[in-house]
Amino acid sequence: MLKWLSPIILSALLAGCEDPNWHTSDISDIMPDLDLSLVDENGEQVEEDAYTGKTTLLYFGYTHCPDVCPTSLARMTAAIKKLDESARDDIQVLFVSVDPERDTPARLRQYTDVFGPQFIGLTGNTEQLDELTNRYRVSYGYGDKDANGNYDVSHSSGIFVFNAQGDARLLMRNSDPIPSMVSDLKRLMARG
Amino acid sequence: MANKLRTGAMTRAGGKWACGLLALLLSGGVAQAQDLSLENARISLLPGDMPGAGYFSLQNDGAEDVTLVGAQSDAFENTEIHMSMEKDGMASMHAVPEIDIAAGQRFEFAPKGYHLMFMHRAAPLEVGDDVEVVLHFADGQQLPATFEVVSPTAMH
Ligand SMILES: [Cu+2]
Repeated sequence: MLKWLSPIILSALLAGCEDPNWHTSDISDIMPDLDLSLVDENGEQVEEDAYTGKTTLLYFGYTHCPDVCPTSLARMTAAIKKLDESARDDIQVLFVSVDPERDTPARLRQYTDVFGPQFIGLTGNTEQLDELTNRYRVSYGYGDKDANGNYDVSHSSGIFVFNAQGDARLLMRNSDPIPSMVSDLKRLMARG
Repeated sequence: MANKLRTGAMTRAGGKWACGLLALLLSGGVAQAQDLSLENARISLLPGDMPGAGYFSLQNDGAEDVTLVGAQSDAFENTEIHMSMEKDGMASMHAVPEIDIAAGQRFEFAPKGYHLMFMHRAAPLEVGDDVEVVLHFADGQQLPATFEVVSPTAMH
């Protein structure tokens, strides 16, 4: 009796810990608020206050990534397109390049324009990038250069989502279906 | 006289045999090429000189296993077979020297997995353009295919 009851009790306990209405992962209690010091796609030094007032998605990548990064950004584009038209101005995506050697501000602007007006390219020096990635407990790294000088960059694949006040709220993974992302973004934008 | 005739007959027979061999080789070659087919071939292309990703579905209807060893396109300086991986929340990508496709099997080059990485375009390309790509196999077979240029926002 106890044997088959325990999974039910366990799931009930877990349900109590995790808000069952979020489809993606709630990180409110485990991740710090938005705090950054970087260079934006116009070459300006920026801090987090430039991005408060809107729901913010934070993603780390690089423009020489033809597969994972564009696919992840395309998912965000698709999710944003599912929001009411008026809500699309209240959300922004910060694409932070961890490859500042190749990703100039001009190149980042050209890149983010493909995905929509909500996308903003950012990068920084090693110190600034390390501070930001350490803050969200992610990492990045560079592969060896090949004969043509190309190299691969490893980067985190999740999307950190902050409310309009800059509080960390959700982590969206590549495995989360787009309707789950849309539902959570709507809920977050409605309640903060 | 008899000798001459025989020689002539031999030559004709030899000619026939050579033609037959040639026809056999040709038909063999054609049949092999038809055993391999590409579907839904597209290049997700970023602006400027940023690399593109080629996706497709490769079907091997032949009786033999084949090994894809590379691809080439005049539209790009460099084309490599790549694989993206995701592990513990980290994404990475690396070159893959070859891929085996067993007889009767289908192999997918799809977002967040295998892709052709197209580097340094020879001339500007736009969404909707066609790009000719030739896939190379270990046994010397070549499979030409037309890839359509699509926006990265179409891939999700
Ligand atoms: Cu690649």
